[in-house]
Amino acid sequence: MHLLTLPTPLLTLLLPLITPALSIPQHTYSEHLHLTPLPPASLYAGFNFTSTTPLSSYLANNFRYFPRALAQILQYTHTSELHLRFALGRWDDENWGARPRDGGREGGNGVELWAWVEDDLEKGGKGAEERWGELVNSLSGLFCASLNFVDSGKTIKPVLSFDPEGMLEAGQLARGNVTGKGQGKLRLLQGMLPHEVVCTENLTPFLKLLPCKGKAGISTLLDGHKLFDANWQTMAVDVRPVCDEDGECEIEIQQTVDMVLDIERSMRPRESPIPRPPPVEDILCDEDKSYHGHDTCYPTPYPGETEWSISRIFGRPIRGSCPLSSNPDDFDLTLSVPADRNVEVIAEAAVPQHSPLNTQIRAYKLPEGKTFDLLLPQQPHAPTYVQNTSLTPPPLFVTRQITGYGAERGGMHTLIRNPLPYAQRIVYLESLPWFLRPYMHTLKLSGPGRMEKMFYTPLIDRKRGTQLELLLEVAGGSTVELTYDFEKTILRYTEYPPDANRGFDVPAAIVRVLPAEGEVGQGQYLRTTSLLLPLPTPDFSMPYNVIILTSTVIALGFGSIFNLLTRRFVLVEEVPVSPLAGIVGQVRERVGEVWGRIMGGGKGSAGEESGGGKDRREDALRGGDGEGRRKGADGKPDDRKGGKER
Amino acid sequence: MPPAEKPKTACKLEYPVYVRLIVESDPTQAESLAAQVEGLLRADDGFALYDFHVTPDASNATIAFDALRTVQHTDPASPEHKESALTVNVKADSSVKSTETTLWSWVPLLEVRHNPGDAEDTATLAVFISQVIHRIFTEEQNTISYLLEETAFTSGRPIKQPSPEIKAELDAKKTRAFKYASTYHLTFSLFTSSALPASWDVEEALESTIQPLINRFSGISHFTVDTQVQLYASFSPSIAGPQYDDTSREWQLQRSDLSGFINAAEWPLSPGIGAGPTINFVLFVPSQDQSPLVIAENGGNSWLIPQWGGVQILNPAGKQPDKLTAHHLEPVMLTFADQLSTLLGLPSSPPSLALRIQSLTRERATSIIVSASSTLGALARLSLKLKSIAIPKSVANSVDETLHHLDQACRALHAGQFHKALENARTAEDEAEEAFFEPSMVGQVYFPDEHKVAVYVPLLGPMGVPLVMVLVKELRAFIKRLREKKSQKAKDE
Repeated sequence: MHLLTLPTPLLTLLLPLITPALSIPQHTYSEHLHLTPLPPASLYAGFNFTSTTPLSSYLANNFRYFPRALAQILQYTHTSELHLRFALGRWDDENWGARPRDGGREGGNGVELWAWVEDDLEKGGKGAEERWGELVNSLSGLFCASLNFVDSGKTIKPVLSFDPEGMLEAGQLARGNVTGKGQGKLRLLQGMLPHEVVCTENLTPFLKLLPCKGKAGISTLLDGHKLFDANWQTMAVDVRPVCDEDGECEIEIQQTVDMVLDIERSMRPRESPIPRPPPVEDILCDEDKSYHGHDTCYPTPYPGETEWSISRIFGRPIRGSCPLSSNPDDFDLTLSVPADRNVEVIAEAAVPQHSPLNTQIRAYKLPEGKTFDLLLPQQPHAPTYVQNTSLTPPPLFVTRQITGYGAERGGMHTLIRNPLPYAQRIVYLESLPWFLRPYMHTLKLSGPGRMEKMFYTPLIDRKRGTQLELLLEVAGGSTVELTYDFEKTILRYTEYPPDANRGFDVPAAIVRVLPAEGEVGQGQYLRTTSLLLPLPTPDFSMPYNVIILTSTVIALGFGSIFNLLTRRFVLVEEVPVSPLAGIVGQVRERVGEVWGRIMGGGKGSAGEESGGGKDRREDALRGGDGEGRRKGADGKPDDRKGGKER
Repeated sequence: MPPAEKPKTACKLEYPVYVRLIVESDPTQAESLAAQVEGLLRADDGFALYDFHVTPDASNATIAFDALRTVQHTDPASPEHKESALTVNVKADSSVKSTETTLWSWVPLLEVRHNPGDAEDTATLAVFISQVIHRIFTEEQNTISYLLEETAFTSGRPIKQPSPEIKAELDAKKTRAFKYASTYHLTFSLFTSSALPASWDVEEALESTIQPLINRFSGISHFTVDTQVQLYASFSPSIAGPQYDDTSREWQLQRSDLSGFINAAEWPLSPGIGAGPTINFVLFVPSQDQSPLVIAENGGNSWLIPQWGGVQILNPAGKQPDKLTAHHLEPVMLTFADQLSTLLGLPSSPPSLALRIQSLTRERATSIIVSASSTLGALARLSLKLKSIAIPKSVANSVDETLHHLDQACRALHAGQFHKALENARTAEDEAEEAFFEPSMVGQVYFPDEHKVAVYVPLLGPMGVPLVMVLVKELRAFIKRLREKKSQKAKDE
């Protein structure tokens, strides 16, 4: 029951920052890395960078740890709270258990963004939609992502799925006190881009927002080669106002990177990443197999855990610490392994370490300006993760597929399984692109579940997608099935992307497991994988084919009529002998001679000649075209001859 | 919508300058002295652009001075206020040997002290005062004639052009300074090579040094200020980097490295959001092991990047401090203030800031009127050249607006209301730019006809081939006929 449920120890470590013990808000910064081995042979690494700035200096544009570029965007677009996610891969619920940070720092595949934006339309200012447009455009430039494609067709306004994390009302009030201006109403908008490929160009600006910029501290481990090679990774930027009872507010920015790395794959050397079979001596054989012999070997995986270290997995050790931490007692790095696991610290200086809460967690403080590495040597017994019974089972399993065949109709099929013995209330949110038209009358919930509420916004072609938000209750230990049919739209010719046959991405469904009665917090979030929807695609070369075909037909007609109108019809005798005809005649004669010699008779050549004469008559009637023809006829004997000789 | 005024005459740029003359020593003399000074000021051909008015002011000097101060603190842009460009206060002072002048920095006040014991008559005094006033306006006069050079505004008027040396200087000044904008964003950034110093008392330092300067400029432009701290700033890879000099025991930056010093790829110096350019001021603190860092040629530590901002290197004495205090920052901010005034195009003379800002107002108003007119001219030429271009209604409206505001600006200029002129010129400029860069028109200019041809090639090609063949055949037949005729003739003969 540890970090993977909710980073409780992490929270305890950070708690002094959040508690209203500080009466005067300060510029603060802290960073933290948590490592947990996961089955099978994977490593979870969770990075967290948190900095705060007092609201007064935020509004006065004096920035220390808070990135100026982002703050300008937020101020310009009147955004109070922002959540931005870049995600890649799939979280393996079955093996890895519940999601880190309760799924609260996770996004659907691609890019996801939701924010509370001020609406000043009633006061004659800009509306929330207009500001949202400015926000996505500015963020798109800042993070080198195609966020500007989040238009009205991809924007939804969820009702139940998201709650503000910050104290928006208190923040608004404090802001009003400082600026002396009234504030508009806040509206929540959300947009997803499942097609976006998250890559290094998004990581670089992400690192630039950090005070230590990946030059010192745990952020030195963040390298695009490793991060985007992970089985699952998500980068998050969260900005929210935090206020204490006295109305003193600060703006907090949390940047998190969570990833699950395949230990074996990450440790391959970068120069030769292609896996090669190890030498025979190093292979363990399964001697129980009947065919095991001195020359046959059935390889079996190593029963214990292989050796791994931070520097081998991430390609480099941690270089120094980021010396800006406002609380010198904070530990920068925690590792969650069983108490009896042997862990070696390789560092150039003494490292303070501690097991703060229980024996399963070890905490380390990074030495300033010196490198730091952790080595977990080979362990012949059962792997760490098997002993690591601390993995929490996930609260819910959700899978979603597209069913059906053909280019016209399809169906959506979602399975929700509640493994817990008691009933859970969940919010299920789907944002569908406009070209997927659900038939709402076919929406069916089967199994021991109950639909309490439904929020549905129908689509408008090219303007708005479908938003479907359901509040469900799923009985304990049961599986609920949610299905509906949909129709596929035929798009306009220019609306297809260059890779139209790949299919169209449908954003992930977001499932929020509401906290049980009496529990506080946001609940837990899960996201399904995004889907690929094949749409009927036209033959894209068709317009050009049509142009070519019609042009050819017209040209043909034109040519014949033109010839009929301009040619002079004469008798064969009147045709003047063309100079070319003489040459051709000579060549023919010679060929005829050779032919005659080979065949030993004059029969063939006579036939040829009479054929030629017929041709010439025709040519005279048809005009100049015959010259080419005659040449073609002439070529034949040559060809035949060549064939013979060969 | 602008009023329909039919006969529009070209705007004649002219700058009325109102000078108030107070003769403290002998108020009765004021009238005659004023008349003489005005006569002398107008007599000079070099200042043909200016229309000097010297009015005697009998009021007590101290009251006048107070009034001057309050005027400066009220809105200088109010249209009713006839801006008196300069106040001359003539004082009798027996302690001075020859006549002396003092120019006040914060108010446009010229104090002239002369010895009453001298047997100087009013004429000599008038000559002296007129010369001093001419000197005050020399740089501005040069700049304005430079701006108006080869524009239609000078036609028909002999305007003295500055000498080539001065012209070169003005050229340099023009490339250094920012183009005029109604809003500038100022960004002050602290870049540190290592993790220290991680903070600075920038609010305090700005409040005492930059803010007063910005307040002075508020009549011309608006400013927003933001600050940031950036740690672990590395040198740009495109420069050679600092070299250690054994003799001076300093790290030296070569002159060629200065232009590429800003690491554009790594340093977050993105321009501010919203209209208006960003002026960057970078304070760089080198790491302990590369300190002190200076510029090789002159041992200096600050430089200006034209139309971008200013850079300064701070080498803190001793150990790297955790925090840069206001004490550390004071000289830094003074340099930044100096760089800011250069970047805004503030003239270097006269020594009075109040007069320099006045000059800047006139120069800016002139340059915007000129540039708005030339944009409008370019648009007119474009529409004449590309006859097929469709001009949207919005462009027509913008052109009307531009003309209207240019007219207003010209009137305000004649009335001596330079702030009002600047405001109108600014609107005219914005409208003219909007009209010129209308997206729908830009698209039409670049629409290629070749695309249409490409689509028809499959049709035109096959149809063209028989036509060309027939043409060749006919030509050949024609030549043959011609030859036959010739031979026929030869036979006949």
